[in-house]
Amino acid sequence: MILIGENLNIMVTSIGQAMKERNPKPIQDLAVAEAEAGVDYIDINLGPARKGGEELMEWMVTIVQEVVDLPLYLDTTNVKAIEAGLKAYKNKQGKAVVNSIMCRPERMEAQIPLVTKYDAGMVALLWGPEGMPRDAAERGLLATDILQRAAEAGVAGEDIWVDPIVTPVNVQQNQLLECNQFMSELEMIAEVLAPGCKSTCGLSNVSNGAPDHLRPILNQTYMMMLEKLGMKSCIVDAFDKDLHEIARGKRPENTAIVHRVLDGDEPDMGGLNKEAQGYVKTAKVILGHSLYSDSWLEL
Amino acid sequence: MAFEIPKILYNGAIKENPLGKESNRITVGGETCYPFHLFEGNMPHPPKIAMEVYDATPEDWAQAALDPFTDVVHDPAAWAQKCVASYGAEMIALQLASTDPNAQNTTAEQAVETTKKVAAAIEVPLIVWGCCNVEKDTEVLKRIAEECTGENLILGPVEEDTHKALGAAAIAYQHTIAASTPIDINLAKQLNILLGNLGVPDERILVDPTVTGLGYGLEYCYSVMERDRMAALTQEDERLQFPIVCNLAKDVWKVKEAKLSDEDAPLLGDPTKRGVLLEAMTALLFLLAGGDILIMRHPDAIQLVRGFINDLMGS
Repeated sequence: MILIGENLNIMVTSIGQAMKERNPKPIQDLAVAEAEAGVDYIDINLGPARKGGEELMEWMVTIVQEVVDLPLYLDTTNVKAIEAGLKAYKNKQGKAVVNSIMCRPERMEAQIPLVTKYDAGMVALLWGPEGMPRDAAERGLLATDILQRAAEAGVAGEDIWVDPIVTPVNVQQNQLLECNQFMSELEMIAEVLAPGCKSTCGLSNVSNGAPDHLRPILNQTYMMMLEKLGMKSCIVDAFDKDLHEIARGKRPENTAIVHRVLDGDEPDMGGLNKEAQGYVKTAKVILGHSLYSDSWLEL
Repeated sequence: MAFEIPKILYNGAIKENPLGKESNRITVGGETCYPFHLFEGNMPHPPKIAMEVYDATPEDWAQAALDPFTDVVHDPAAWAQKCVASYGAEMIALQLASTDPNAQNTTAEQAVETTKKVAAAIEVPLIVWGCCNVEKDTEVLKRIAEECTGENLILGPVEEDTHKALGAAAIAYQHTIAASTPIDINLAKQLNILLGNLGVPDERILVDPTVTGLGYGLEYCYSVMERDRMAALTQEDERLQFPIVCNLAKDVWKVKEAKLSDEDAPLLGDPTKRGVLLEAMTALLFLLAGGDILIMRHPDAIQLVRGFINDLMGS
């Protein structure tokens, strides 16, 4: 599993402040810390960045590349800021990735040409003209549209990262099933249009709204599932050590038991230790076998 | 191969909750199938209708809702008796609207006095509903629980913020509680878990999913109740297997469509029938979604809904 660090985000107070003051130190320190924590990519999230987004992205890319060689995800809805970032970007250990291009005609027409012009990668966000897709089939339609447009523009499959949109388990659990269903079909869809295409997602969304201390096990369990369903990367908290271990295959027992639940098995809870029981309970909540409540681990 | 009618596989059942005084118990719940799917399971206790009584004379009611009660609106005990004697109410729901700090802000003592009078005037189970102000409800409902020991009242709303105080009072003084959450299935389950952790016995918990009237987002409430029953009956979700109470009349009758006069809204039809039909339709939909107790207001609407229940129960 490829990991993309989500921490360089304008919403993080200290980082937002440093961006505003053009103070490189806190930003560079965090970038170095993310790299040392072992992420494969660093996401630079400016939010909407309506005012001065171009200049800010250019500055961010420059100062982050002064201290780390990892490839970057450039994350903003401001198209011009993306282009400014791509212009400033130097390919040291991989291409920059545009995060993200929505499946809306005007966004695709404006942004896909940037991807080819600057030899970058792109996240194909399955957010359509009518907003969030309602099910797996709508995800499939949106994916077909954007993959076709990207392929026609000359973007290689390996440079496209499809984001199926992960929703919070506590309010939109059924959408997670649709997301899973789509993930199991993505390779088939991509085979013709964009062979070798990758995938990514905002993993932490799954636990949005859950109590803070319970978010890691939701994120971890869902990552285990997504891996089995073919997900290639996750945008994650760079400093969740357990998540790194799981991504690197260092928790094979727990991963195997989550995969069994995903396959429809009912592991015998009596034979499991407390940690494994927690993963089974969490997997069942994510799959809707039992309804989410904040106390799901205690039941 | 012969055609087989598909049937839903149930693996759970709704708990049976005895309500009211020992001398006059009625039971709700016990379903082993979706609402009125009598070809798939049982509904041992048909849904019950509780009639509303207010603790102070209503000031802003539609004339249609007021007409049947003009002789008793000033006296909650007489009102409750009329509901039972004239309209066959199976339960009474005393709405403590006047305790609201933003309204008359009547005291806990006054609420206790009114509750005692109403409880003494009737034999059927009594629901006592607060004003939905967390602090005031805690104070008022706690006092009522204490002073009315042995009545097995149904106290509501009990929310996450009030569940400790009111849950403890229900345990200590043996009352039933209506666990109330804002149209959210996950929060409903969580509150039931918390009440269980506190030690409230299952047979003393009803679920109030929060309902609204026809035309004002009823479909959201419907979906939540539907999901509640799916989890309870087909997913063995033990913390959702509780009877559901729908406090619907106050929301139905407060909307403008229920109140506008003939002159103000000639296109909306007869103002008397209009409110009654809004209430009956709302109630019917909540019956189909899984309601076990409907809190209703107008005798004509109640009569219509009773007819539906009898038809659907095949009795």
